[in-house]
Amino acid sequence: MIDTSYALGVLAAMAVVTFGLRALPFLAARFLQSQPLVQRLGRFLPLAIMTLLLLHTLVGHARDNPAGPWAELVAVTAVAVLQWWKKHPLLSILTGTALYVLLRNPDIVGNL
Amino acid sequence: MNRQALAVTIVASDTALNFNCFMPPPTDSTPDTQSPHISVLSLSVPVAMGYIPLGMVFGFLFVQAGAPWWLALIASVTVFAGAAQFMMVPMLAAGLPVAAIAVATLVVNLRHVFYGLSLLDKLPRQPLARWYLVFALTDETYSVLTTLPPGTSTRQMVTVALLNQGWWLLGTLLGAVIGAQAKIGLVGLDFALAALFAVLAVEQWRSADSAAPLWVALLAYAVAWALMPQQALLLAIAFSVLAGLFWPAAKVKKVAP
Repeated sequence: MIDTSYALGVLAAMAVVTFGLRALPFLAARFLQSQPLVQRLGRFLPLAIMTLLLLHTLVGHARDNPAGPWAELVAVTAVAVLQWWKKHPLLSILTGTALYVLLRNPDIVGNL
Repeated sequence: MNRQALAVTIVASDTALNFNCFMPPPTDSTPDTQSPHISVLSLSVPVAMGYIPLGMVFGFLFVQAGAPWWLALIASVTVFAGAAQFMMVPMLAAGLPVAAIAVATLVVNLRHVFYGLSLLDKLPRQPLARWYLVFALTDETYSVLTTLPPGTSTRQMVTVALLNQGWWLLGTLLGAVIGAQAKIGLVGLDFALAALFAVLAVEQWRSADSAAPLWVALLAYAVAWALMPQQALLLAIAFSVLAGLFWPAAKVKKVAP
């Protein structure tokens, strides 16, 4: 169970940070345009952060899976290939999740 | 707006960590600039098709992670940032410090800094409308607002932003209610989150100047895991920010005038 006051604190911090970022250009447009570091980070970080979030989530799933990391690897490869090929996020997400659920719950195949 | 600002904006949105891939470009669906009433609504429809299912996934996962349903709604009312809200679910469940989640939010939403640059003159002057639009400046609202023809009224801009946040709230509520009632015996439904991150990583990779950030992230996570498995994500993000600061500046993509 998540502690409510802790969660509210997190949400407040996230709201302030997000609004601050969205409002910043309206307060300091010229300054930002002149900062090469801001531009460099803006190009470098998105792919790095997404890779990290993906890795971290996968590692979490794999640690809960006594059968080893194979189901995670198969499902994430399916999502990546499907997305690269079809460019249809909902299709990729639903297919990958369904595949993973099937791999982790082999007995539902028998019940179908 | 001057040329440099435009170049910055286009480069930024080019590499943005965005959800734009979830819907067709709004420009395709609005050839009719004569009747802005119709175009405002039709611009919001593709957003609804992305926001309602995604909002449902967020609400569902948030409640399944152990939060009450109304907290999911508060998140979508006050934060209103898709990628950051998804990112927060595992971090909140792991009980990470507030400051750590704030830093992660800063990093994930960093791209939003660039969005305002192309809207400085376009947003209405009336303070309440202007600041609500700034607050609601998600990837999708940004792309819709930049698509609206000049002379679009304040009321229409606010309507489109309110509709978009309404779809997000509706999805969140549906997902949270389903998540609160579901006693699902299936292991692995929350793999949807990993799948979403995989989709976003693929789209980032597709639009990136180079794959270097991906390799840096893999290496950073391996090193962070070896040093402090409990704080691997946070440490790896810190390594990546450092690497990004010192990475030789990639050549800026030329922007057609």
